[in-house]
Amino acid sequence: MNPGWRRDAVAAVWVAAVAGAGWTGTALAARAPSKAKPATHTVTIDATSYAPARLTVHPGDTVVWVNKDLIPHTATAKGGGFDSKVLAAGASFRFTVKAKAGIDYACLFHPTMKGRIDVE
Amino acid sequence: MTHTALIIAAALAVPAAPRAVEAAQPVNDAQIASIVVTANQVDIDAGKLASERAAKPEVKKFGELMVTDHTGVNKAAVDLATKLKVTPQDNPTSQSLKAGGDKNVAHLKTLKGAAFDKAYVDQEVAYHTAVLDAVDKTLIPNASNAELKALLVKVRPAFVAHLEHAKQIQATLGGAH
Repeated sequence: MNPGWRRDAVAAVWVAAVAGAGWTGTALAARAPSKAKPATHTVTIDATSYAPARLTVHPGDTVVWVNKDLIPHTATAKGGGFDSKVLAAGASFRFTVKAKAGIDYACLFHPTMKGRIDVE
Repeated sequence: MTHTALIIAAALAVPAAPRAVEAAQPVNDAQIASIVVTANQVDIDAGKLASERAAKPEVKKFGELMVTDHTGVNKAAVDLATKLKVTPQDNPTSQSLKAGGDKNVAHLKTLKGAAFDKAYVDQEVAYHTAVLDAVDKTLIPNASNAELKALLVKVRPAFVAHLEHAKQIQATLGGAH
């Protein structure tokens, strides 16, 4: 499904619901989905894997990787974007998503570890 | 047990390694703890040598990674054994691991440059293959304590990643000759 289409559909439902409730246009604008409060998502690193390995976020959201494994790992975006550098056991790393583009990332030490952030 | 000892001894290419011939018996948790600690230590020893002697930067880095990761796993294993009041118990598998590891390090010390890199990486591929086999066929099935079993399950994917990583390096070394 085209994410842009889905977003428009969501907005249409909003308009219908809010209009049905008899709200004003001003309230509508203030409540638009694009003004939604940024969310924080957690990716747990354990047993040499990311959980969830695939995550869907919105621009402005923050992703936090927490290393609960026994050994160091990294969360490093392919082609730049972000790099946690060495995350020792117990350490964490935050990245705030800006661009509306998906990001594949991996662990520099363990080639079997792969993750993806979808941005919509 | 006999199976594990033989596989690991074969992987280490140690003709003199003791070939356990006594009746096969399941390993207990104290023996599993000893096998885990010894297996990690063997790879730490080889990794230390590679971090000092490897010619190619990626081989040197891999050696450093082995020291870091297997030290992390060993710390967790020792902490758990202490908590469970389990004293690691020597057994034919841990003995053959130790003997094979010592022999491997002695052999690697006679090599330099590309020959060292190739021998070390080939060995790491064989070693992680053998250790994974032991983890799957002997250690996890025989671990009776739930926390010990959970630790083995938790660290297994790291060994898979090490094997994959070593194979990737092995492929680049093969092309260099």
